[in-house]
Amino acid sequence: MDTICKRPQKQIFALLSLLFLSFILNIKSVSAADGEKLFKQNCAVCHSLGTNKITGPGLAGVMSRVPSEEWLHKWIKNNDKLIKSGDPYAVKISTFDASQMTIFESLSDDEISAIIGYIKAPPAPKVAASPTGVASGTGAATESKGVNSLAVLIGVIAFLIIIVAVLRGVRHSLKNLQNEKLGLPEEEAIGPFEELKRWIYSHKRFTALVVLIIIGALLSAGWYALKDIGIYEGYHPTQPIAFSHKIHAGDNAINCQYCHSGVEKSKTAGIPSVNVCMNCHKGISSGATTGTTEIAKIYEAAGWDPERGEYTKPQKPIQWVKVHNLQDFVFFSHQQHVKVGKQECETCHGDVKSMTTVKQMQPLTMAWCIDCHRKTEVPGMKDNPYYESLHKKLAEKYKGQPITVDKMGGIECAKCHY
Amino acid sequence: MATKKYWKGLEELNNNPEFVQKANDEFAEQIPVEEFLGDSNLVTGGTNRRDFLKFLGFSVTAASLAACETPVNKAIPYVVKPEEITPGVANWYASSYYDGNDYASILVKTREGRPIKIEGNELSKITMGGSNARIQASVLSLYDSSRITGPTINGKYSKWKTVDEEINTNLGAIAQKGGAIRILSSTIISPSTLAIIKEFIAKYPTTKHIMYDAVSYSGMAKANAQSFGQEIIPSYYFDKAEVIVSIDSDFLANWLSPIEHAKQYSLLRKVSNQRSEMSKHYQFESNLSLTGANADERIPVKVSEQGKVIVNLYNAIAKASGSATLTSSPLSCDSIIQKVAKELLEKKGKSLVVCGSNDINYQLIVNGINQMLGNYGKTIDIANPNYTHQGNDSAFTDLVAEMDAAKVDAIITYNTNPVYTAPATLKFDKAFSKVPLRISFADRVDETASFANYICPDHHYLESWNDFNPTKTQYSLAQPTISPLFAKPTYQGSRQAQDSLLKWIGNPSDYHSYIQNNWMNSVFAGQTKYTVFTEFWNNSLHDGVAEINTTSSSNSGAVAGQGTTNFADAAQKINAIKGSEFELSLYEKVGIGNGNQANNPWLQELPDPITKITWDNYVTMSPADMKGHYKLMARQDREASLVNVTVNGITVKMPVVPQPGQARGTVGIALGYGRIKAGKLSTQTGVIGTNVYPFTQIINGTLSYTVLDVKIEDAKEHTEIAGTQIHHTLMGREIVKETILEKYKKDPTSGNHSEMVHTNSGLKKAATIDLWDEHEKLGLRWGMTIDLNSCIGCGSCVVSCTAENNVAVVGKQEVIKTREMHWLRIDRYYSSDMSKDIAAEKKEGAISMYLDMENPSALNPKVVFQPIMCQHCNHAPCETVCPVIATSHSSEGLNMMTYNRCVGTKYCANNCPFKVRRFNWFNYNGNSDFAFNPTQDDLGRMVLNPDVVVRSRGVMEKCSMCVQRIQEGKLDAKKSEKPLVDGRIKTACQQSCPTNAIFFGDLNDDNSAISKLRKDDERNYFILEELGIKPTVSYLTKVRNCETTIEEGKEIEETEKVKA
Repeated sequence: MDTICKRPQKQIFALLSLLFLSFILNIKSVSAADGEKLFKQNCAVCHSLGTNKITGPGLAGVMSRVPSEEWLHKWIKNNDKLIKSGDPYAVKISTFDASQMTIFESLSDDEISAIIGYIKAPPAPKVAASPTGVASGTGAATESKGVNSLAVLIGVIAFLIIIVAVLRGVRHSLKNLQNEKLGLPEEEAIGPFEELKRWIYSHKRFTALVVLIIIGALLSAGWYALKDIGIYEGYHPTQPIAFSHKIHAGDNAINCQYCHSGVEKSKTAGIPSVNVCMNCHKGISSGATTGTTEIAKIYEAAGWDPERGEYTKPQKPIQWVKVHNLQDFVFFSHQQHVKVGKQECETCHGDVKSMTTVKQMQPLTMAWCIDCHRKTEVPGMKDNPYYESLHKKLAEKYKGQPITVDKMGGIECAKCHY
Repeated sequence: MATKKYWKGLEELNNNPEFVQKANDEFAEQIPVEEFLGDSNLVTGGTNRRDFLKFLGFSVTAASLAACETPVNKAIPYVVKPEEITPGVANWYASSYYDGNDYASILVKTREGRPIKIEGNELSKITMGGSNARIQASVLSLYDSSRITGPTINGKYSKWKTVDEEINTNLGAIAQKGGAIRILSSTIISPSTLAIIKEFIAKYPTTKHIMYDAVSYSGMAKANAQSFGQEIIPSYYFDKAEVIVSIDSDFLANWLSPIEHAKQYSLLRKVSNQRSEMSKHYQFESNLSLTGANADERIPVKVSEQGKVIVNLYNAIAKASGSATLTSSPLSCDSIIQKVAKELLEKKGKSLVVCGSNDINYQLIVNGINQMLGNYGKTIDIANPNYTHQGNDSAFTDLVAEMDAAKVDAIITYNTNPVYTAPATLKFDKAFSKVPLRISFADRVDETASFANYICPDHHYLESWNDFNPTKTQYSLAQPTISPLFAKPTYQGSRQAQDSLLKWIGNPSDYHSYIQNNWMNSVFAGQTKYTVFTEFWNNSLHDGVAEINTTSSSNSGAVAGQGTTNFADAAQKINAIKGSEFELSLYEKVGIGNGNQANNPWLQELPDPITKITWDNYVTMSPADMKGHYKLMARQDREASLVNVTVNGITVKMPVVPQPGQARGTVGIALGYGRIKAGKLSTQTGVIGTNVYPFTQIINGTLSYTVLDVKIEDAKEHTEIAGTQIHHTLMGREIVKETILEKYKKDPTSGNHSEMVHTNSGLKKAATIDLWDEHEKLGLRWGMTIDLNSCIGCGSCVVSCTAENNVAVVGKQEVIKTREMHWLRIDRYYSSDMSKDIAAEKKEGAISMYLDMENPSALNPKVVFQPIMCQHCNHAPCETVCPVIATSHSSEGLNMMTYNRCVGTKYCANNCPFKVRRFNWFNYNGNSDFAFNPTQDDLGRMVLNPDVVVRSRGVMEKCSMCVQRIQEGKLDAKKSEKPLVDGRIKTACQQSCPTNAIFFGDLNDDNSAISKLRKDDERNYFILEELGIKPTVSYLTKVRNCETTIEEGKEIEETEKVKA
């Protein structure tokens, strides 16, 4: 560091050379990563890298099966053409399955090479260290934190009590010493409680004040504790499958509505049925953090046999733990908020894209609902012909003021309770 | 936070019902209150201060402990989500309802694969979007836990394979020796089922198929066979009949095709500024029926005189038109008959005479009357027969005789319960047990199925494929809306009866493809709209209905066999009928009907539209007879005298209730009650009512629902009855406003006058004086208007509301305590012989006037129906008294009830002038005293509407104007970015109304139907508006096509008086 600071030219040079180096290295890694990316985009839906069949055959050892790499190139690009040209191997494997392989004329030769490169040297499948450990780990962490703070508090209190006791002893001895010096009689030895009692007798007003304050504090603490009953802000239960929204919605940027497809059609956004998971996970059997264990649970639910690539086993519905619980007497409609009101999912659910396990980010109390309804202007209202006449009348009534949800009856009881 | 699920024990893991029950209890175990208080005097003595403090401390602790639990809720998505299902969004399927009696094309609302609501299908040309109470309630019958879950052999569950094998062997053996096989069913209008039965007969040629209806129209069909050479029942067009004469035919509630008739009837009953004509309806009857209650002129006649009324009417018309008259006997109501005849003759071809009797002779002469009036081809359509009632009574009696003679070797019963419904004289059960092989398709071990060797449970209609052909040209399809509730692997499961038959004849096809093939060959060929079958099929399935082209010149006036009928002979037989002191007329109630849904608590709790009594049947008797003959309790409240009713040596003990308008010397009893094997309801509440089917008899080869000699004795005992209305007259108040057509034509506001008050600025309308500010005119403002002229009081809306809004069933004892929960009730008021005018005339004092006013006219009262639900007052009295603001007003004009805020002070109910607020006195969803409540049953719970909260103990509830439907409709409009279309949102009551009496819409939209109606129709009024409460629900004055209104009291009873 020092040397670089002292010699700016050298520093720039070093930086440039570093950039160059990384550029060269990058070209190589881009190409490899491209192969993986392209494979996942185009091939993984039908082909696994193992031996198992999905829609198409597993690709393990494919290079030893096909006549040549060049042949494979042609096959990927346009298998139909190859079959029609009468290539014997192509004709032979075209009888593998009734469904025909997609034609990839849009892929460039380089891209196909990258894919073949990726198929030739697939990454070793990851095995999770201990998925159960992950689940119990979080629980333990929360617990130990609770124990720690309590222990510290008890420790401090015990320490203070000891100090008070020691100081009392010291004071008593000193007083006696002094009394001895002055020739006064030895101080009466009284217990600490007796002493406290005497002190209280002599400081009645102060004691009364303290007692009142303590009662007040307890009452207010009780009040707030009662108010919190039934509010589960921060609730993040462990789910039967360690599904990560961060990986799906965050890293892979899958649209929320891909899985929660009811959000614009129904009052419930809906938890995706297992067949929706299988749209992708038919091909993706190994995850980034937990390997195959968690995805295997989807297969179990769906009755999917990954070895044979068929749905042969009994189906078992997944019992997710509901995170956002509204009371039965509230009717909340997702379509009203998302489709009509054009609200973002994040407004109520928080930044789900960064959550590994979903957590309830908002209190979901009626006060919270009404608060928002009082503040929020409806973005979809102006352009929606449904609201045309109402909007005109409201604009006249509340000249210049923002027209919030409550102004159009959005906090009336029967909007949610019926 | 609980992140793991810990099982408290194996019980919880296995989730057994007992554990679930315990877990749902407020306290896991019985709280040792007595031990805790240590005071045995507690039960007897009062609570002292110390006890109170102990209680207080204990309950605070218990409450805080209960509140501290963190719930762990599971969310379990589908493994493979069906493509058409989005959780939270309803799917609708078109289907059809037919139970051997009622027919309707319907739409079924399903949520996450569960049917939860039935609505009428507007594409149907028969029911035209209407439905009735029984059809509305039929969705609950699907979730009936009394259904059996698999086939049984001699009462023990078995396997389908075993059952099929055994039945095949047995049938084979019977066929071998040429033994007789009989299929006994109610009317089947499914062309495919009939085709399967045909195939069955082809395989087993000794088979005969007999159709038998519990409530039969066999006499009508037989009369038509004599008159026209065709044993059919025609279609009736009440919408073309300007004069309607009904002799004991309850065509609005039960007779033939009541939904269709009600739709048609209401079309000519609606008046407006554009149309001030309405039909004139005469009703001659003994019991006060729903149809009679709606008639312009109702003439109570004894049962034995009904036939003579027909003969005399025939004579009056024949005389005027110069035809031969018949021998007749004079009647007290002859002058009215002359008047009716004159009016009928004025409307030749635009009139209709119908008769509810199952006697061939009655129907023959009615046919003669309609012929003379030229009604065939106009208001009666023989070319388009109605197939829904084809029961053949004589074939049924022949079958019983055959069985009794041990000539039948096997019998298969389908959708029929003759052990319960057959006349006692037939001794059906005895004859039935003589058949060696008895197979039943019943879905439960009912009265008949309990005699069967094999029960092969049929699917519920909501689990089934089916096709129907209700009239000659109309077809409809039924499709499954839920996969069978009872199915493998848990149960052996039910199986569609048609599939069972296909199995037994060795046809490998399933019923679904069988119907498709059948339609390809028959219905598809009969229509020209589609050229490709799949297109035709898919459209028919989507619409629920299909129509074939009529080739013949439909509705031609030419009627075969005219004049060949021997009217004189029929009249002779009618004149020979002799009455007695008491005559019995059996009838069906709009709720229970013929009793096939007797296990349905919604229907049991539906008040009878006339008597307003729930959970029972009873003897209806004229109040004059009760006092005169027996000194029976003629009160109309919670208690009734018991009487012994004896018919043909059978005596039953039943409560007797006074029925104003019941013809003197007659009594009425409802069929369909007293089912001992209907299901769990009868075990939970005891047998409901008394079975009076044994009183029916076979006369002249047809079933007769009247008994001309019945003995009634005071049993000198009392019993409880549960009525929902114990006040029967309007007491001079203008809650129901009405006028007569003559006055209405001159002045559309007639009958609709408002209360006026004197102010310092002169006389003013009371409703215009207000302490409160007007509401702003922003956005939407919901309003409802009910046309009292269209409302027939049928109760379809009440059940529809119950289904839509998860209304609890409370049972007989709670109804007695006036604690029924119906959000929507239909008030029924009788006219009284006393009115303010009469009192002034007679110079009576106020006290004696009001005392007299309380009594309905005993002989022939006028009746009005008024549906009452929360009136959503704009200045609501309930809102101002709630201490916790649990009820408040919305900017859309709704009076909102917030259950979770309610603390149950009941102030609002006390301050409500309409008594529409209902309080949850108990936890109807968990308290074992209310085990009949659908919410207490694992299956029954599935009927609940997930968009409406199930209310718990201690909260008030009331009509929300189906706010969940409003919210849904608004949201749909918002999402599609279009203004809300008028009529898109329909409340449950509005949708189910067969006469379109209910209008609902946005009052702030000047172009909405309801705004126009309120602006244009001078009949519009608000009840109790003089209180200044500004109700949102308005009513349209009732217009009668007769001489007096309810308040004007007496009218054509004089003749009756003479007789009495």
